[in-house]
Amino acid sequence: MFGYVRPSIRDLPEEELDRFRAMYCGLCHTLSRRYGQAARFILNYDFTYLAILLSDGTAGAQGAGRCYTSPIKKRPFLEPTAAMELAADESVILAYWQLRDGVEDHAWASGLKYRAGARLLESAYKRAAALRPEFDQAVRRQLQLLSALEQAKDPSMDKAADSFAVLLSSAAEELTDPVRKRIMEQLLYHLGRWIYLIDGADDLKKDAESGNYNPVALRYGLTDGTWTPESRRDFATTLDHSIHQMAAAFELWDFGVWTPVLQSTFYGGLFQVGKAVLDGSFHRPSRKNIREIEETE
Amino acid sequence: MNDPYEVLGVPRTATDEEIKKAYRNLARKYHPDNYHDSPLADLAQEKMKDINAAYEQITKERSGRGDSPAGGYRQNAYGGYGGQSYSGGDSVFQQVRYAIQLGDLGRAEALLTNYSNHNAEWNFLKGVVCARRGWMDEAKRYYETACQMDPGNLEYQRALDYMENGPRQAYTPGGTTFGTELCGSNLCLPMCCLWSLCSGSVPICCYC
Repeated sequence: MFGYVRPSIRDLPEEELDRFRAMYCGLCHTLSRRYGQAARFILNYDFTYLAILLSDGTAGAQGAGRCYTSPIKKRPFLEPTAAMELAADESVILAYWQLRDGVEDHAWASGLKYRAGARLLESAYKRAAALRPEFDQAVRRQLQLLSALEQAKDPSMDKAADSFAVLLSSAAEELTDPVRKRIMEQLLYHLGRWIYLIDGADDLKKDAESGNYNPVALRYGLTDGTWTPESRRDFATTLDHSIHQMAAAFELWDFGVWTPVLQSTFYGGLFQVGKAVLDGSFHRPSRKNIREIEETE
Repeated sequence: MNDPYEVLGVPRTATDEEIKKAYRNLARKYHPDNYHDSPLADLAQEKMKDINAAYEQITKERSGRGDSPAGGYRQNAYGGYGGQSYSGGDSVFQQVRYAIQLGDLGRAEALLTNYSNHNAEWNFLKGVVCARRGWMDEAKRYYETACQMDPGNLEYQRALDYMENGPRQAYTPGGTTFGTELCGSNLCLPMCCLWSLCSGSVPICCYC
């Protein structure tokens, strides 16, 4: 489900990319300090965005440190802030329930990796849920709704996406400024809707083969996992409406130092990812991809 | 009131032309057209008021006269679905429009649920509520039904056109195109992986 949100790197100056990297590494350090080394495996770009959106927009203190992926060279990272701790706790809760969901969706053997992941995250989850009980309850409630829709094979794309969108928007629950909270809930709602829909589109082929519930396929009557020109156009437009709502919400709040990164995401990165998913050329970066590139260069 | 130059994001030394440009850009960003389906339209309206007031003040100061600025955007475009040209018709639907205007989607929804005559206007208003909630696909379907039932109605047709064609006219910084399918090879780079953030030797890579 996660890993789709990213900026348009072409439009971002190097210093802004460095800032994004420092937040990614900072969130990783926050996870490790609060939940131990094992919690680091849940890290992804989407959780980094959560930390950025919840941050106060100031530059923040930077440290430098080594880690498993960079054992020799020290890398700059943002020192944990209250917002990053909130994002880390919420990320643990989200990742845990996603893994648990994976356990239920798969047969015993193919569900092994989810079961192993969930077990690894069990104690971290317990602590995170105790710290953020409201968010934990919201995630549980929304995932239950989603699973009921799956069971019923509900064909409403918006209804299914709504469960996940509401889930993500509840990440803004602890914000105290009422205006900021409204803006953030709207932004996160459409970010959640977009993520859910793009994930459905990305899984079209896989779900057509396995017969798994896919509300995007059901909505457009796509049985073999390929788009018709009309359905593709229609779907891209509904994605654009959500991106527009995110951009419109984004413009109403001052995100400080994060403005360039977010601007390049809402006016570029999401379009690029969406287009690549529709073209079938989207790949999540993996260690394997990166090794291949290193070898060819 | 805040410093009008700060509101427009320009230095005091800016030329008239630079001020006009900054004002136009902000006015485009917070224009009602950019927020007409957004539940945050009231916040955009506040911004727009500040921008208009700031521009007006600077123009006054600089000209020494009391004129309102030339080429300024007017406020009356705001009003949402509830306020404008609508007259007559069913009083329940008027209440629904009013509730939508106030942002009370729960009440709008309840009024529609209790109304048994699912005519063109009912479908249109259902669509408006869906759009405000972020259910864009359902909104489009209700607008389609409304247009089928009352093909001559311009309000319904406009809403459907917007849902079908997408926010093509949406504000973008620098006036770039807005749209997933418009992200062609000459507009955006092919999909790039960002980097393996912590992996050292390949900070940014393309594997398209």
